[in-house]
Amino acid sequence: MDTFEAIKATFFQECDELLADLETKLLDLESGAADDETINAVFRAVHSVKGGAGAFGLEALVRFAHVFETLLDELRAGRKPCDELTVRTLLRASDVLADHVAAAQGTGPEVEEARSAALVAELEVLTHGEGGSPAPDEAEDDFGFQPVAFDLPSLDLPSLDLPSPDAPGAPAAGGWRIVFRPHGRMYVNANETGLLLRELGRLGPLEVELDDSAVPMLDRLQPEENELVWTIRLTAPVDEAAVREVFDFVEGDCDLRIEPIAGEGPELPPLIETPDAPADDIDISALLAKVQDEPAAAVTPAAPATSAPAAAAPAASATAPTASSPPAAAAPATIRVDLERVDRLINVVGELVIQQAMLAQRVTESGLARSSGISVGLEDLELLTREIQDSVMAIRAQPVKSVFQRMPRLVREVAEMTGKRVRLVTEGEATEVDKTVVERLAEPITHMLRNAIDHGLETPEERTAAGKPSEGTVRLAALHRSGRIVIEISDDGRGINRERVRGIAVSKGLIAEDAALTDDEIDNLIFLPGFSTADAVSDISGRGVGMDVVRRSIQSLGGRISISSNPGKGSTFTLSLPLTLAVLDGMALGAAEQTLVAPLSAIVESLTPKAEDVHYVGGHDAVIRFREAFVPLVDVARTMGFRDAPVPPGQGVAVVVETESGARAALMVDAIHGQRQVVIKSLETNYQQVEGVAAATILGDGRVALILDVDALVANARRRPAAADLKLAS
Amino acid sequence: MPAASALHVLIVDDQQTMRSLVRNSLQQLGVREITEAADGEAGLRQVISKPVHLVISDFNMPNLDGLGLLRAIRAHPPIKTTAFIMLTGRADRELVQRAVQFGVNNYLVKPFTVAQLKEKLEAVFGPLT
Repeated sequence: MDTFEAIKATFFQECDELLADLETKLLDLESGAADDETINAVFRAVHSVKGGAGAFGLEALVRFAHVFETLLDELRAGRKPCDELTVRTLLRASDVLADHVAAAQGTGPEVEEARSAALVAELEVLTHGEGGSPAPDEAEDDFGFQPVAFDLPSLDLPSLDLPSPDAPGAPAAGGWRIVFRPHGRMYVNANETGLLLRELGRLGPLEVELDDSAVPMLDRLQPEENELVWTIRLTAPVDEAAVREVFDFVEGDCDLRIEPIAGEGPELPPLIETPDAPADDIDISALLAKVQDEPAAAVTPAAPATSAPAAAAPAASATAPTASSPPAAAAPATIRVDLERVDRLINVVGELVIQQAMLAQRVTESGLARSSGISVGLEDLELLTREIQDSVMAIRAQPVKSVFQRMPRLVREVAEMTGKRVRLVTEGEATEVDKTVVERLAEPITHMLRNAIDHGLETPEERTAAGKPSEGTVRLAALHRSGRIVIEISDDGRGINRERVRGIAVSKGLIAEDAALTDDEIDNLIFLPGFSTADAVSDISGRGVGMDVVRRSIQSLGGRISISSNPGKGSTFTLSLPLTLAVLDGMALGAAEQTLVAPLSAIVESLTPKAEDVHYVGGHDAVIRFREAFVPLVDVARTMGFRDAPVPPGQGVAVVVETESGARAALMVDAIHGQRQVVIKSLETNYQQVEGVAAATILGDGRVALILDVDALVANARRRPAAADLKLAS
Repeated sequence: MPAASALHVLIVDDQQTMRSLVRNSLQQLGVREITEAADGEAGLRQVISKPVHLVISDFNMPNLDGLGLLRAIRAHPPIKTTAFIMLTGRADRELVQRAVQFGVNNYLVKPFTVAQLKEKLEAVFGPLT
């Protein structure tokens, strides 16, 4: 990527931030939470998008941003009122602006000309009034601006002058050589060379040579006369007048020669020597206050600051303490790092965790005492490794804000299409989760929000009739709960119509007509493949996919989804996701000499069934009784093909696992080895997808262990018709 | 004739994109000593602790805008001689006029080309080598 392309990439990154900021600020305006700075920030965001777009020749984007910016400028200046209608138009304009950015970036379709033009027209009406036409931009030539060369005579800033042979008196690059021979009369007038030198020293560093060769022998000395000659080398970026000024009072009482010392190399004035002046020692806030409080007219070329003698400049710097080096002013709070680098680091840390575990195991095997130096050191290493891992994971962690802030627009659009009135409340935007998880959250959340508005919320009329406020509320919240991130999407709509859901499930053959289901189970039927409650697939939430797609995408992230509904009061979808896709808390299980890992989050309980606890349905499908229900028994070693015979009755451990939808099965294994945190290695990347296996990991002893895909195992077991939904009539 | 390589420049803009663009253009002109600040106040702190020959600053920034930065620089004797080029959007006549009042040396309209930047620099410093 060449530099220009790299800058362009930065631009689009910044655009995302600007657009997000723009929307947030516009929403503040809409909700009345705005202050004077808000409209400025809005203007700045659009202005910056336009500025960058111009540099990259993104014409369509520039044109749209320009019209947008023009209106904002009017609002900012208070020439146009910022009323509700205007803010709504601004919000729609920000949507179109975002589309233009996406189109320019190539991540979105071209913006429809008609849509863009319609908004441009609206913006222009707001800017210029009905029928008004925009004033043409002033051409740059019309400014009548005269660039001001570095030697600003008009500003009367003498020391701005560049050194040049044609400009006598300008600061000399190498400083000044001053040859000074006082006459005897100077001393008679009570002047003193030492004082003059001290004064001169305030302009800059001095090198002083005293030539006493002209002083006669004592017998010929004239006490009233002076024969001493000082040659002074002054290194300071001051002009001749400043030097001459020091000798103002002794003029005529001395021989004075001031000549510039030619500098070598650059002819730029040397930088002002204040490297040791910490910025904090200068009262920035006072300076800023002064600048901001002063009426504009006060700082004109005639201001006192400019008429002060140039000597004031070095004098000020000379008074600054020459103590410690200046603290780094305004160090950047963030850096942008290529994601690839972070991922490489995460991979290496993953290897480190494995290596550490292997080392620990070797040490244990070698029979060293736990109190031995090696064992103790290893424990510290383990703690450090964990810390490194957590820190690295934290680099990838991102607030869910980036996803949440896309939602207000979606809600606006869906509300407009469905004719419903919706208020979106978001909570916990700062909740952090792995970047990959964040990115893949957008789609399911989008889908569920659409659903909540389209299916969940009633029309304003229906709501009023039901005694609810006509505006529906949809809440989107993120929170951390027991090592996972939980996303809740709730609405205060009609809730799930269980009769209807059940009817549809029966008519589509998803459940038996006489199946006894709890309310929760009925609610969760909407996640079944092929289930869609919309009578006609609507344009908004339908798109031909149902909630089963949402569930699948959540599951692919190692997450769970469930719904709870309260008829007439609303529904809540709850997503629970792992914080990262790189590490898993698992339970190590033994099956036929193999070690397998089951995600801890899926495990409900483990038990050791006696032979008589196991029942057979249809002669071969084993089930066990667990909490008033029969759950299918999955012999893991056999299912995975490790051995042909099942675990003999009365031996082994049954680990009861539960899927997101609440379906359970008991995994029959030989033994439970204990809880481990394992680094997830993709099986697809290294081998291929295997039914019943979610991924792999490397154990402490270096062996590969498979991580079980609990959902697939359970679904597989429950597909056997005989085992389906057996419930004890208790 | 000043050498571009000896020129110390501070770029002040709240947008990384714009700072990179200015930096890139300056580098093409042979300028090597370039520092950046993300708003007027940070820029002011920087220019006070580490003086430069030239400040190229955006106008519209949070904290302290470009005019404020210009005024603060002109009001602070040790650095008041710093050359100042203001970056502006098109047709900001009023802004440019105010900047002139406060002692701006030149202005540069976004988007700009390297040649335009060179022209603006040379109007201030004379031909660059």
